[in-house]
Amino acid sequence: MSDNTNLVSAGAEIARRNKRYVVWFFLLNLAFAHFGATAFNDSARGILDHSLYADKLLHGFNLGVFMELLAHPEFGAIPGATHPAMMFAVVFFLASLLFMPGVLLGYASDHRLPRDEFYRACGRNVWRFVRLFLFFTIIAGVIAWILFGALNALMTATDKTSYERLPFFVQLVGTVIILLVLTIIRIWFDLAQTDVVLRDEPAVRKSIAVGFRKTRRHLGRLLVSYVVIAIVAVAVLVAGILLWHAIVPPSSVLGAFIIGEATLLLLLGTRFWQRATAVAFYVRERANVEATRTIPTFAAPVVT
Amino acid sequence: MYVRLTLFVCLMVSLVAPVFAQSAGSGMAIPATTSAINSPTPLSQRVVAYDMDAKYDAKAHTLEATETLTYHNLTGQALDTFPFHLYLNAFQPTSTWIREGKREGTRGQDFEKWQSKSYGAEEIKSFEVMGQGDFTSQLQYVHPDDNNKDDRTVVQVHLSRPIPADGYVQFKIKFHDQFPETLERTGWNRDFVLGGQWFPKVGIWWHGAWNCHQFHAYTEFFADFGVYDVKLTVPQFEVVGAGGIEVGNVNNPDGTKTVSYHADDIHDFAWTASPHYLIYNDTFQSSMGPVKLRIMVQPAHWSQVGREARVLKESMDRFDRWYGPYPYKTLTLVDPDPGSQAFGMEYPTFITGGTTWWEPEGLHFGSAEAIEHEFGHQYWYGMVATNEFEDAWMDEGINEYAQVKVMDSIYGPQTSALNLWGVTAGERDEQRVFFTGVSDLDPIAKNGWQYADSNSYGGVTYGKTAMVLLTLENIIGEDTMRKAMHTYFLRYRYTHPTKEDFLKTIEEVSGRDLRWYFNQAVYGTQVLDYEVLKISSVPVDWYKENLKEKKGETEYDCNVWIHRKGEFVIPIDIEIKFDNGDKVRERWDGQDRWIRYEYRKKTKVESVEVDPDHKLEFDRNNFNNSRTAEANPSPARKLTNYWTCISQFCAQLLAWWLV
Repeated sequence: MSDNTNLVSAGAEIARRNKRYVVWFFLLNLAFAHFGATAFNDSARGILDHSLYADKLLHGFNLGVFMELLAHPEFGAIPGATHPAMMFAVVFFLASLLFMPGVLLGYASDHRLPRDEFYRACGRNVWRFVRLFLFFTIIAGVIAWILFGALNALMTATDKTSYERLPFFVQLVGTVIILLVLTIIRIWFDLAQTDVVLRDEPAVRKSIAVGFRKTRRHLGRLLVSYVVIAIVAVAVLVAGILLWHAIVPPSSVLGAFIIGEATLLLLLGTRFWQRATAVAFYVRERANVEATRTIPTFAAPVVT
Repeated sequence: MYVRLTLFVCLMVSLVAPVFAQSAGSGMAIPATTSAINSPTPLSQRVVAYDMDAKYDAKAHTLEATETLTYHNLTGQALDTFPFHLYLNAFQPTSTWIREGKREGTRGQDFEKWQSKSYGAEEIKSFEVMGQGDFTSQLQYVHPDDNNKDDRTVVQVHLSRPIPADGYVQFKIKFHDQFPETLERTGWNRDFVLGGQWFPKVGIWWHGAWNCHQFHAYTEFFADFGVYDVKLTVPQFEVVGAGGIEVGNVNNPDGTKTVSYHADDIHDFAWTASPHYLIYNDTFQSSMGPVKLRIMVQPAHWSQVGREARVLKESMDRFDRWYGPYPYKTLTLVDPDPGSQAFGMEYPTFITGGTTWWEPEGLHFGSAEAIEHEFGHQYWYGMVATNEFEDAWMDEGINEYAQVKVMDSIYGPQTSALNLWGVTAGERDEQRVFFTGVSDLDPIAKNGWQYADSNSYGGVTYGKTAMVLLTLENIIGEDTMRKAMHTYFLRYRYTHPTKEDFLKTIEEVSGRDLRWYFNQAVYGTQVLDYEVLKISSVPVDWYKENLKEKKGETEYDCNVWIHRKGEFVIPIDIEIKFDNGDKVRERWDGQDRWIRYEYRKKTKVESVEVDPDHKLEFDRNNFNNSRTAEANPSPARKLTNYWTCISQFCAQLLAWWLV
């Protein structure tokens, strides 16, 4: 347990030391989301800006009025407002894929990584990360497909009973198990990505193998660390929503913005914490291996 | 002269009498029982008496039954043809119900693929007319609405001898039911069953002709009042509930039990059975006497039963005080099997609600709304028994209007549908959402099966009718409207009124000619949509060089344009607010397409609002009913902020798992 605690706190320390990465990613996502919401904003402003009826959305949130707004012909089709946001979500994902190698290198460094090194790492590893992403998608996709298929079959079976809560709890437990399995795969590929960057390994299959071996050998420690941080993330999300509900007046746009963005920033921070934990683990493991290799070996004295 | 005439009449009667099968002297009669109602005398003009003995096979979901139907011919003329509904035959692939469902949608089933468990059937094994013999081989399926030869939901028998006016006839029918997995609020789900529309039911003689429509994808039912005596034989482990009062419960040696029910002055009979029901008993004191409430609850929903009982009793209280008394001695509320399509249905003295074990308190549009709505049908359908095929709005729409009033009264107008985590919605907001998307497709007054599609049927029949009646209430006043509804209920309970009966009652009580309104709102498809087109405030001395505008000193020519966008013409109020706080009210008859109001004032127009008292509930677009001179970006910013947060969260989640 103390190893786990050390790992989690070591990851936290790395993430704290390099918090600028979290902030930059957060600002990038905020900017993308802002651009993605432009169409929505334009549609809404055209209808709401000069209407007294809009008060029902400002001082409170009347769901019926909101649905009326969405159904309004001048608001346009809902996909027109949602597609840009979806596109920018994909752009953020691609940006994350592009810049993550620099972040991992920065996490492994004991000094502030110069900008050119950061970008060099990004550039050198971009296609490796794309390949790793494809491997991850295939492996995680197949496993998720099998597990969700099994869960669906189980749900169908439980649905035949009249115990209404059984399907719910089966679904809940099943989903948690699937998330744990996917977390293990995520750990595996987080370590593979770290290996690719820190060893500058062009053959990603070797890094995938390294990641797999390390995950298999230290599954308990790594999984507990990731789950602890994931629980913190859920707690952050719940606390943010409760805080929003409790202290932000319905008409306070600024208050909602601050609480909402603070929650999202902390939420993003937890994922970077996980990445930092993986890097801390990887660096520690490599140091152990190198120390083992450098211990001098002596021939046993010959006693006569 | 008088003696001769009398002798002639006696002679003619003696010659003609053998032609008629039955007469008033045949011993047949509709019982005048009152044991199931809080009244010493019958409440309705009883036309039918059903005496049924049914045995349910819980494994095969089938039912074997005998039905003795006594019919009292009160049509004023001899009848030799009788049509019967066989509703369960609707659940067959080539039926009109399924065809329409495939084409236009049903209430809950899209039939992408036909499944054998959806099959339902109502098969007549034998059909005997007392005194005339067996007519089984002479039964004919008829298709009065669409000539679909494959539809078997209406069967007709032609008697060899007519039944005279005021005469009686008795039919003895043996039939076999195959229930589908719940469809249209009837059938089985796991080990639950809801027996709705399960027996051959005679059509209704209405306005000089038989009214016996085929079963359509989203129409409901229409039948005569009468007396029901029903014996249900089910396995002993079943918990049974039904309409009327329970009069017997006997265990049989073969592991079954027979539960007997009796009901007075109702026009349909439904029942349910499941081994899992828990029973919650309560009482409501109506102005005609105590009503025994029996709530049949799923075990997982027991924590919700207090809330269900509360909303039921509060609804009964409002209806009793506002519209009239509930006269029956019982009301059974069924919480059907989870996942079944038996949620939210009405039968006389028997309704289904439905909930979930996790339903939060503030989600009023879930079970609370369903319970209120289905109870409301005890009035608008149960007692005021309108034709649900041809005038669906008279039960569903009038009931939706009552629902808005009752739910607003219980939970508050702003939160009567939803009050959860700061998100709210009133019942009238919900009704608006129903109809705004389909507001000009069909008029309210239309045969239920002839709507453009199920969305139009739902949006117009439920939502638009409710909004039209709420607007009407704002025109004639809430008290007058309540008095009109009360009068309508008392005058037409236990009868089958037409749409004009309802509309004329409102005109009569309000003392106003409302035809101009009804012609557009009920019979027409005109859309009601007024907008503030534009506003302007231009300094009178605009042409002067170096003009400096000073508040309270500079004079302005203020203009306001109002536009009638829709075809619906109705007089409206307009409120113009100036930035010094002055307000001006104008009234426009709406006859022209637009109107401009002009003012010269030492102040600018701040805002203009059409219908400032919010009386026009069914104006399609409320956003354009007002216009402010200055833009207020806060509402859009608030929504955009929500949207930004949600899309950021989704993007982070995507990146969390994939990178």
